[in-house]
Amino acid sequence: MGRGFLGTAASFRADLTLVVEIGMGAALLVGTVLARQRRYRAHAWCQSAVVLLNLVAIMLFMAPSFSRQVAPKITAGLGHSYRALALVHAGLGSVAELLGIYILMVAGTDILPKRLRFARYKPWMRMALVLWWLVLLLGLGTYVRWYIGPARLRWVRRSPCGRLTSYAARGGASRVTERTGHLAFIWEDGAR
Amino acid sequence: MRKVNSTIGVTAALIMAMSLAAGNTGKPGAGPQNNNSGRYLVNIDNFSFGPATLTVPVGTRVTWTNHDDIPHNVVSVDKKFASPVLDTDEQFSYTFNTRGTYEYYCSIHPKMTGKVVVQ
Repeated sequence: MGRGFLGTAASFRADLTLVVEIGMGAALLVGTVLARQRRYRAHAWCQSAVVLLNLVAIMLFMAPSFSRQVAPKITAGLGHSYRALALVHAGLGSVAELLGIYILMVAGTDILPKRLRFARYKPWMRMALVLWWLVLLLGLGTYVRWYIGPARLRWVRRSPCGRLTSYAARGGASRVTERTGHLAFIWEDGAR
Repeated sequence: MRKVNSTIGVTAALIMAMSLAAGNTGKPGAGPQNNNSGRYLVNIDNFSFGPATLTVPVGTRVTWTNHDDIPHNVVSVDKKFASPVLDTDEQFSYTFNTRGTYEYYCSIHPKMTGKVVVQ
């Protein structure tokens, strides 16, 4: 029922949102390159499309998910990292989206009065790009925390004779079976 | 001497019989493994419901407890019941008053599925 396609415990919607958001983040970088090449019209279309598409993604996927999974528990406090992460991502993401819409309105339309329009584009646009990517990384962290989880972090040690031994790290408790050898991280899907 | 030995033997047998009788009293009848004072429990942990299939009699109250470090919920496939989002150590209970098979899942993590068979 709505299972994801990335091999984690996420739903299809969550996986789709993640892929689309990463794609849009990459598209913003492409748009930056277009501006450097002085292809301003293409740059405008690219960045505007990302801002508007992201608005749709927020309204269709992220806002409903937030209202179902995070909002009901906000009054319980931010003691849980999964809720705090989602909240920070939502807050900064809203700021980034509003900033993108503002830039779009200033640079692409005459809707706003002169006193609300900025003159120097570059600082605003660069700030928006940095904030967008910060939010994207927070979103990736939120996805990992919610659908992969810290309990899935597994330490793998290789003993001197080459055998792999391991222990699972979970909430600070761990079970060490070998004390020597090389160390590597492996993320694995915790679903049985 | 023979009388003393037989008396000791009878006494020992009586003591053994009384011990066995005492050991068998006070124990409730055997029930399903996760039956704790008549409650049926499902543990939510490591992105899974345990046990995945639970068979209970009609009128049973089943309690789900989230032992995982991320939130989950319990949603019936046929919309008969739906829990709120459960934080770690939070619980949700539902009483099954009708025979049947009730499949459920976690809507946050749809890979997690379980079943309650009510007989």
